[in-house]
Amino acid sequence: MSNSRAVILFWQLAILAAILVVWQWGFEWSRALLPKAYVPKVLDPYFVAKPSLIWQSFLRLGCFADAGGFATCIKSNDNNLWLATLVTLKNTWWGFLFGAASGIAAGLVLGRSDFLARVFGPYVVALNSIPRIALVPLVILIFGLGDLSKIATAWLVVFFVVFFNTFEGTRAVDRDQIAAARLLGASEFTVLRTVVIPSALAWVFASLLPAVSFALIGVIVGEFIGAERGLGKLIIEAEARANASEMMVAIFVMMFVGILLAIAVRSLQSYLLRWQPQFEPSA
Amino acid sequence: MIAAPGQGLAIAREEDRTSAARTRIAVQRLAKRFNASGREFVAVDDVSFEVKQGEFVALLGPSGCGKSTILNMVAGLLPRSGGRILIDQDTVETGKVNPRVGYVFQRDTLFPWRTVEQNIGYGLEIAGLPKTERTRRVASAVEKAGLSGFGQSFPRMLSGGMRQRVALMRTLILEPEILLMDEPFGALDTHTKLEMHKTLLEIWERERQTVLFVTHDLGEALTLASRIILLSARPGRLKEDFDVAIPRPRDPVSVRETAEFGRLYSHIWHSLGEEFRRTRAD
Repeated sequence: MSNSRAVILFWQLAILAAILVVWQWGFEWSRALLPKAYVPKVLDPYFVAKPSLIWQSFLRLGCFADAGGFATCIKSNDNNLWLATLVTLKNTWWGFLFGAASGIAAGLVLGRSDFLARVFGPYVVALNSIPRIALVPLVILIFGLGDLSKIATAWLVVFFVVFFNTFEGTRAVDRDQIAAARLLGASEFTVLRTVVIPSALAWVFASLLPAVSFALIGVIVGEFIGAERGLGKLIIEAEARANASEMMVAIFVMMFVGILLAIAVRSLQSYLLRWQPQFEPSA
Repeated sequence: MIAAPGQGLAIAREEDRTSAARTRIAVQRLAKRFNASGREFVAVDDVSFEVKQGEFVALLGPSGCGKSTILNMVAGLLPRSGGRILIDQDTVETGKVNPRVGYVFQRDTLFPWRTVEQNIGYGLEIAGLPKTERTRRVASAVEKAGLSGFGQSFPRMLSGGMRQRVALMRTLILEPEILLMDEPFGALDTHTKLEMHKTLLEIWERERQTVLFVTHDLGEALTLASRIILLSARPGRLKEDFDVAIPRPRDPVSVRETAEFGRLYSHIWHSLGEEFRRTRAD
């Protein structure tokens, strides 16, 4: 009874409403009612803005409330919310795509070859031990302030995550399944295509979901450190002007971007892994 | 044993055919030694036997006697330490697959990401058979295995017996002339096992592949095989060789009521019993 869909939805909406109400009016109310020492600083709109201000900033940054109209506003501001989101999304996507593709390829090659795995093992461990963030300034130095450095940063983060999972997944392929495929006439390449890759796919996907978040983190960090456009740049600019509500707008947009990317990966996953019980289409 | 005249004739004909038939598998002085933590131990020692065209030979022995090891060497899955194996006069090379040989595993080796139809059609698919022809042959195999209505199911939705039927069909659809089977029904319950015996008997009595069937189940060996090779406990050596002159077509249940079944059962049971005792004494 208590966990029926409607009840759960009710509580979810109630919690959301409570958060919005406290966020919007909590600071004023507590200042009016409580002694000064007890007024919670975390609710101070100077630091965390408040929903109404965030909404106004959203309308302004998104060019919805510009006197000159939507089109001129978009043109006059080259890091408006739309363009910034698009740039960040685009860089995240390419970084994720290149990172995942190269991670899968490298994982398969090293996973299938004991020789290469042993030769490259120490290098992989050494490179993976470098905190990726430490490399961002270097990446920007090499690739410049443009999009390429953001894609490269995302690639760096995604590659290793996907690589390690693919490698382990390739190692975990059932030897008897490989033997069975060979006995049914499969060549080495056919075994890779029809047994190793489908079998390792579950492991690969287990890494793709975090990888897509990591790609977004990589791009944002890149934009923090040096960029011309993007949501990260928007936050840094807002910080310089101590404008909490604009930062909040960027944060919320990132949240939506993250959710959209996760949904995309998730639906691809449940299609490709539909043979696994947890992805069984519910009737 | 007093056999009906017709049955006696059937036996005579079967034996005639096998004695005149050519040798498909020849195992000569086969040996296998393993190195386990610096200590060498002998798994198979000086085993020789032959399997002729159309024979159904059961390789019977206590657990750990090396019968699966022998089978895997015959299949070329495992390198041998000594001796020779010939299939149709050609020496078996490790790692090289002979397209005339089919192999059925004890363990479930179905591809879980493929449906029943895709599993059964795997060999045809990678051989590049046109899709229409493939679909036709897969459909007929699905029906032959009693899996109608499950063609689109994934293996995890099937019972153990059904999965093993799929595995059997995945191998048989390639029409191998020689069939190597490594305790294929070892993991199934008694009832399912009997059903599988029925299916296999029907197929084999129609198609007469040359079969080498590894098992530790005496009843299973007597039900299916036309010959039983008994191996000793470790190290695996050839102990005895029996012809199973039970007439065909056999039924997995009523075959147990024949006099020949009873006679061979108690005889081999004694022989096998000695080996089990030796295993336990180790």
